[in-house]
Amino acid sequence: MSFARAACAAIAAMLILAACDQPGSDGRDRVVYRHAIDGMPASLDPAHAANVYSSTLVVNLYDTLFRYRYLSRPYELAPNLASGMPEVSEDGLTWTIRLRENVRFADDPAFPDNRGREVTASDVVYSLGRHFDPATRSQGAWLWRGKITGLEEWIDGGADPDRRIPGLHAADDMTVVIELTEPYPQLAHTLAMALSAIVPREAVEHYGREFGVRPVGSGPFLLKQFDETRAVLKRNLDFDRGALDLAAEGHDPQRHAELGLGSLDGEAYPFIDRLEIHFIAEPTTRWNSFVAGEVDNVMVPPEQADRVLDSHDPLRFSPEIEQRYHTLAEPEAGFVLYGFNMANEDIGHHPDEQIDSANRALRCAMRQAFDWQERNDTFYQGLGQVFPGVIPPFLDAFDPALDAGSTARDPQQARSLLQAHEWTPETLPQLTYGLEASVHQRQMFEQFRARMSAVGIPQDRLRSRSFASFGDFSRAIANRELDLFLMGWTMAWPDAQYALQLFYGPNAAPGANSFNYDNPEFDRLFERAAALEEGEERTALYRQLNEMVIDDCVHIGSLSRTRLHLWHRHVRMLPDREMLGGYFLRFVDIGAAP
Amino acid sequence: MNTVRTLSVHKRPWSVVRTDHIATLVAIAYLAAALGVWLGLWADNWAEITGTMWADPSAAHWLGTNRLGQDILVRAVASTATAFEVGLAVALSSSIIGGLLGAVAGHFNGSPVDELILWLKGTIDAIPFYLLVVAIAFALQGHAMAMHLAMILAFWTTTARVVRAETIRIGQSGFIEAARAGGSTASRIIFRHLLPNLVHVLLVQATLVFVAAIKAEVVLSFLGIGLQDSISWGLMLAEAGQDIMAGQYMNFLVASLCLFGLVMAASLLADRLQDRLDPRTRHQRSVDIG
Repeated sequence: MSFARAACAAIAAMLILAACDQPGSDGRDRVVYRHAIDGMPASLDPAHAANVYSSTLVVNLYDTLFRYRYLSRPYELAPNLASGMPEVSEDGLTWTIRLRENVRFADDPAFPDNRGREVTASDVVYSLGRHFDPATRSQGAWLWRGKITGLEEWIDGGADPDRRIPGLHAADDMTVVIELTEPYPQLAHTLAMALSAIVPREAVEHYGREFGVRPVGSGPFLLKQFDETRAVLKRNLDFDRGALDLAAEGHDPQRHAELGLGSLDGEAYPFIDRLEIHFIAEPTTRWNSFVAGEVDNVMVPPEQADRVLDSHDPLRFSPEIEQRYHTLAEPEAGFVLYGFNMANEDIGHHPDEQIDSANRALRCAMRQAFDWQERNDTFYQGLGQVFPGVIPPFLDAFDPALDAGSTARDPQQARSLLQAHEWTPETLPQLTYGLEASVHQRQMFEQFRARMSAVGIPQDRLRSRSFASFGDFSRAIANRELDLFLMGWTMAWPDAQYALQLFYGPNAAPGANSFNYDNPEFDRLFERAAALEEGEERTALYRQLNEMVIDDCVHIGSLSRTRLHLWHRHVRMLPDREMLGGYFLRFVDIGAAP
Repeated sequence: MNTVRTLSVHKRPWSVVRTDHIATLVAIAYLAAALGVWLGLWADNWAEITGTMWADPSAAHWLGTNRLGQDILVRAVASTATAFEVGLAVALSSSIIGGLLGAVAGHFNGSPVDELILWLKGTIDAIPFYLLVVAIAFALQGHAMAMHLAMILAFWTTTARVVRAETIRIGQSGFIEAARAGGSTASRIIFRHLLPNLVHVLLVQATLVFVAAIKAEVVLSFLGIGLQDSISWGLMLAEAGQDIMAGQYMNFLVASLCLFGLVMAASLLADRLQDRLDPRTRHQRSVDIG
């Protein structure tokens, strides 16, 4: 090809590409929403979507069987890829889930002729089964392990996807049947998590390790670009879930009047052509990007809270902010807490009863030395809610009458505990405190160490170990390399079981039980509660489990933060990233800019 | 007839001290602050929470407190010791390494030994400084001395280059030729004849590296890849980034001014040392005076 021809071809290609960014074929301007989040997903493989950053993208690129209704609070499940809610047998052991018809995976070279095929029940079976293939390195296998009939044998037999799992199979092309070893009422919630998103086997095998950055799903958006700074998604034109039924999504004309969502009722979604998700970890940059109009939303950094609020109690935004932006203040569906590594005999469980008791005293003393209210005031502008245990206030099982003494600073009691168990600066163990390399985390460490120092735990007993990324930090916890760490836990479903499973023995690291708490009585009660339907008995058991964790001083905590969201007036949405989600993004619309 | 004034090697540094009183006084004040920290006389409680969040300057906290309620003045003074520790450790180590390798390369000018040292120097210089620090910090798994090692590795090359050039120049002098003719070994020539005549170069280089290391430490700590479990002006500035968003400027001002003062004083002294001790600039100065 001559140079002139090559140049002409290149110019033609550029013109075509440029045309792609012009107004849509229906004549209206391309609708672009630019969403900012405070972290970057490490992978877009649903099997690794265990945090809010990955989930935000995964639930928009893939389909899950169920999702949470857009506006209903308390959170309420709705069918997504499933055509309806699951049919559960009377004994609670057999679940039948029917799928929507004519849902297709996106066109991709992984498929014959590059043409995406219909999503079937076999894809659901494959997607759940691959969590148990060691090569997947799934972060969600614990959700279903030990709960599905014959699963363990199938795993022991090599987790071969071509072999049938007795308790997880396709009854026909559009029907999935799950048989459980015991009732598991939370199963539907697990099937709304990004971890359970449906992937095509062809793409997993075609892309191998690259699958984490080459998503092939059936969700409302398709990935166009993904790097360290942002992900660009475009509308999936094959995605068809009918018209938006606002009433069914929990729309309350009074409560949601300010959001301007009414005009979207009855319209097919998604409403935007292009979704940009910007990863901006630095709070100042995130705020400045929002103010400059480079992104359409911001989760207000705590340092900025006083600039946007008129009053902390009751919480009220300033009139100027209210006039300029949409606002939302809501408690997070989660909490932060300090945890001890109970597998370390220097601070945790010990076979010798006397040492075990002394270790417990040391943990309790450290708990009493710490001041959660100070942490709240220092880092969260006093907007968070400190509570004892691990059942946060937004859950039904939260016990408002529970003694809050475990969260109050009591240096005198801390010293007494240390003295009673003959802990001295010389006998205290040296503990490794893990943190991500950030200013905030380092200051939190200094605050923690200073409070320990004030009750006689010398500063050199607490050694910090910082990690460049959240992934490295999580890995160190999973490898039991840290003795003490601050962690956040975002609820994936609105039930205390999701918080209490942090202490369930079989979930020990690298599972969700990062504390490696091992208490057979706790495990027995937890298993009993897990099989119960919602009710007083289950709530009583949850509260009992919560108190066991407090009594054993396994953690120091906890605190639920309050999120302050702002978004531009011309954006019509309710941004809710709780429940590890980003489902709301399919319902975002952009009006005329002011 | 013009008179060329020259200074003896022993008198030169002292005369520098007298010619720049302000810089000297400032440097002495910083050194005194650092000595006090090392001796445990003050600022050993830099990590303690002694006040309330963002308290204004008062009798108890002369420059106020930071977000945690830690005394800003105490942290700034403790950071002085950190600056000297880093500056001195890096300046001394890189001068020794750079001096030795530069002298060896210069003495064996054009030989494979020289080529090898030049290649090593060129390779290290080709790696961007901050990338090198991150790589070393990663390789050392966050070791407390990772930043020091990275700086030493990065800074010795400049010293080596200057020393090599000076060695080649001196190597052509009669006394070196005489030593060679007399059968002196290479190590004897380097250690007995070359290095003593390179002290002025090493002194100037060490001062420049001292300043560069302090500045680099602040930048690295600010970026979160510097000191891990200590206090420095860089860490204070990193904290100030959050403070400023909340309208609190004291941490930023104090850390910036402390850094400015020491770097300015050390740079002025380094310049004056160079003016006095560098044969090229000294010659120029002598002519000007004459």
